[in-house]
Amino acid sequence: MILDNAPATPAAPAKAKPAPCGSVLVAGGGIAGIQAALDLSAAGFGVYLVEESPTIGGTMARLDKTFPTGDCATCTISPKLVACLRDLNVEVLTMADVMTLEGEPGQFTAQVRLRPRGVDADKCTGCGDCVEHCPVRNVPQAVATFAPAHPGQADDRALMEEILVKYSAEPSVLIPVLQDINERRGYLPRPMLEDLAARLGIPLAEILRVASFYNAFSLTPVGRHVIEVCLGTACFVRGSNLLLERLEDLVGVPAGGTDKDRRFTLRTVRCIGCCALAPAMRIDGVTFGKMKLDKVGDILERFQ
Amino acid sequence: MTTAIRTEKDLDALAREGEGSLYPRGLKLLIGSASCGISAGAREVEAAALEALKAAGLDAVVARTGCIGFCQAEPLVDVILPEGPRVCFSKVTPAGIRSLIEGYAKTGHLKADAALCRFTEEKYVSAGTTRPYPPGTNGLGQVPEWSTVDFYRPQERVILRNCGSIDPMSLGEAVARGAYRGALRALTRMTPEQVVAEITASGLRGRGGAGFPTGRKWDAARTQEADAKYFICNADEGDPGAFMDRSVMEGDPHAVLEGMLIGAYAIGAARAFVYVRSEYPLAVSTMEHAIAQAKAAGLLGKDILGSGFDLEIEIRRGAGAFVCGEETALIASIEGRAGEPRPRPPYPAVKGLWGKPTVINNVKTLSSIGAILARGAAWYAGRGVEGSRGTTVFSLVGAVKNTGLVEVPLGISLRQMIYDIGGGPSGSKPVKAVQTGGPSGGCIPAAMLDLTIDYEKLAQAGAMMGSGGMIVIDEGTCMVDLARFFLSFTAEESCGKCAPCREGTKQMLRILTRICEGEGKSEDLQTLQRLATTIKAASLCGLGQTAPNPVLTAMRYFGPEFEAHVKDRKCPAGVCRNLTTFKVDESACIGCGRCVKVCAVSAVAGTAKKAHRIDEALCTRCGACRSVCPADAVINV
Repeated sequence: MILDNAPATPAAPAKAKPAPCGSVLVAGGGIAGIQAALDLSAAGFGVYLVEESPTIGGTMARLDKTFPTGDCATCTISPKLVACLRDLNVEVLTMADVMTLEGEPGQFTAQVRLRPRGVDADKCTGCGDCVEHCPVRNVPQAVATFAPAHPGQADDRALMEEILVKYSAEPSVLIPVLQDINERRGYLPRPMLEDLAARLGIPLAEILRVASFYNAFSLTPVGRHVIEVCLGTACFVRGSNLLLERLEDLVGVPAGGTDKDRRFTLRTVRCIGCCALAPAMRIDGVTFGKMKLDKVGDILERFQ
Repeated sequence: MTTAIRTEKDLDALAREGEGSLYPRGLKLLIGSASCGISAGAREVEAAALEALKAAGLDAVVARTGCIGFCQAEPLVDVILPEGPRVCFSKVTPAGIRSLIEGYAKTGHLKADAALCRFTEEKYVSAGTTRPYPPGTNGLGQVPEWSTVDFYRPQERVILRNCGSIDPMSLGEAVARGAYRGALRALTRMTPEQVVAEITASGLRGRGGAGFPTGRKWDAARTQEADAKYFICNADEGDPGAFMDRSVMEGDPHAVLEGMLIGAYAIGAARAFVYVRSEYPLAVSTMEHAIAQAKAAGLLGKDILGSGFDLEIEIRRGAGAFVCGEETALIASIEGRAGEPRPRPPYPAVKGLWGKPTVINNVKTLSSIGAILARGAAWYAGRGVEGSRGTTVFSLVGAVKNTGLVEVPLGISLRQMIYDIGGGPSGSKPVKAVQTGGPSGGCIPAAMLDLTIDYEKLAQAGAMMGSGGMIVIDEGTCMVDLARFFLSFTAEESCGKCAPCREGTKQMLRILTRICEGEGKSEDLQTLQRLATTIKAASLCGLGQTAPNPVLTAMRYFGPEFEAHVKDRKCPAGVCRNLTTFKVDESACIGCGRCVKVCAVSAVAGTAKKAHRIDEALCTRCGACRSVCPADAVINV
């Protein structure tokens, strides 16, 4: 199938570039693509919405709520799905791959290949019976995985190999391996955990259970410097809760948080064993004992 | 040391080598470089010392050592003079060490004013001998002998026998002071039955807290038939306020390894683990180094000491979960799972790591073992009192003058601990209570300080020995708030497996928080009591079974303080914010302005050198002003 977004007027002379016009190809039928298609249609453009999976809607169609507002995802996307299909300016091409793209802005020619669906889309009512009876389970709805390639993936793989060399293949190495990853990356990146699950043959859910059980692991990136305020008894008796409040004030985030510039992550820790130096805190592993509230600011200045 | 140690003669040779490095011909400086020393500035002092020695042209050995226990006075530097004695200097700064060395280079004398104490002899506890220093005093005759210093006088160091005297990285120095003599006796001259009998006869009980007789635990595992057995050293010292296990591992790692070696031999384990908290990086690296060293010397590995016994020891780092100090949770963690306990029986001695018989002992227990085997059960049992034999270590911290690690024979009184060793309260406020056993223990009021410290007496008082945290509390601490603190700890650390602990601690915490916020209801105290009893009875593991202890003892001994919160809406200690109003005592205020600097909401105002005022409307009652006030002028009305 060849789509030609031939402009309404012939190409203008080289001097004055023609105003972009004609139809637009939107690649990707997720919520962003759908909204872009609808907006373009409203602005008077013809739209080809190209999606590689069998349906549009993308990840959001599979979510319950969306961050950070906690809005119902289905309530947001359903009207847009319907609008997309009803819109006469929008042509939805699912199970489609963009093969080539040629030309320049305003003058593109794209070649799109449609993969066979085995279903007559005009007659399909979406009852789902075929999915139920499919001998190769769920193939009509097979979806892309959640783990797309990301920058640094090659580094992650190299690090993983470097770490795993040290350990035998028994499942009890899970915690030491997680500790090494956490130490090197500052947290446990999701793609590395997925990779680890495959390599150790432990289900990802089990790895996440262990990773979230122990306080030493973080599933989110941390700041350049990690402040740990000791809330052991001796420190508490000598006012470490005040120290924590002071730090929350100075860093500007509550305990457990990371500030906007990713300069500090503020954490609490239960006893670092320096009770005689109470109240104590640790920044990047360096312990500061007998802390005075009016000295905290000066110490933070040393960590940029 | 290149050849493996196989006989007593080899050990003697290594000891002579170690003796040489312990006491070199010339001057020697020993820098206290455990975690606490380092954070107090030991590394800077060391650098300054090296520089000053070079500048003065003095030929001296500078060595690192573990913690001698007097954490209050860190950084500590010991100087061993060629003509004797060993002198300990406290609170040493880089400038201080420089002037000390320069003075010595010029005059040949050390300045006495900075000296804490001197040693005229060294006690080799495992060997049962003493090694006197040369008789010269170097004009330091006035400096008190260490055994006469208040902090050390009542102490007897068995577990900490080598901490602060040897370089923890040197196997030779440890052996010179008697390390691996007990292991040599056990492995080459005794059967496992005899080793277990010796430990049973010594009366040693688990120093991790619960106090289970060590000999019985070993015997239970020894008599099991299994194709594999495991030995674990529990170094997951999670109790906030306790740090002696860290100190032993950082200061005398071979004492722990020797205990493990003897224990593994007694039960027949070929593989052992040390489970260390990851919050203790220096302890981990010191232990790793010691294991490699022992292996190279043939004290671990195959055919140890020619006895045909094999043992491999591995280190596993904890990942920050308090519950992993519980033995079944610890096993789960080593197996690579989330650290959740399981019901006992079967006890680990029957079914433990990977389903095999496993013994788990605390660091302090293990480091006593070598000395017991070297000196004999009777020697050890001669210390302590009926039912609680031997010595144990407490970390004496909180509102007390001398803080640090204290090793005493069991059976001394709390009063001796706090007033003789601790030197009494640190501030102007009197001692109100002492908390033992961390979040599992309880508070004992000042009126009961004549209580003697042993397993049974503490349990009767509602507290427990625990892992040895001893926190002194003065009148500035609110008992309700402290109870809430411990509950918040256990509620957060509860693994969530069993409902009484998971839900119960949360409910108790809610009620306590309500009381602290001035919204307590009259029936709250009763509800707390009921909840506490249920949690104690129904929880799966030690964490839940002991979690209500701090609340129960606080309510038992400080009932009126709870009543004041609930009925009068007052916090007598001035800690609970909603129940407190701060004022500046204008007659006491010196107008230094430090309170102005720390106030986050600019509620304090005043001009320099004149009395300040707190604006009640702005004040959030955080207490920051009170904590920085040098004149105690911020008062609670």
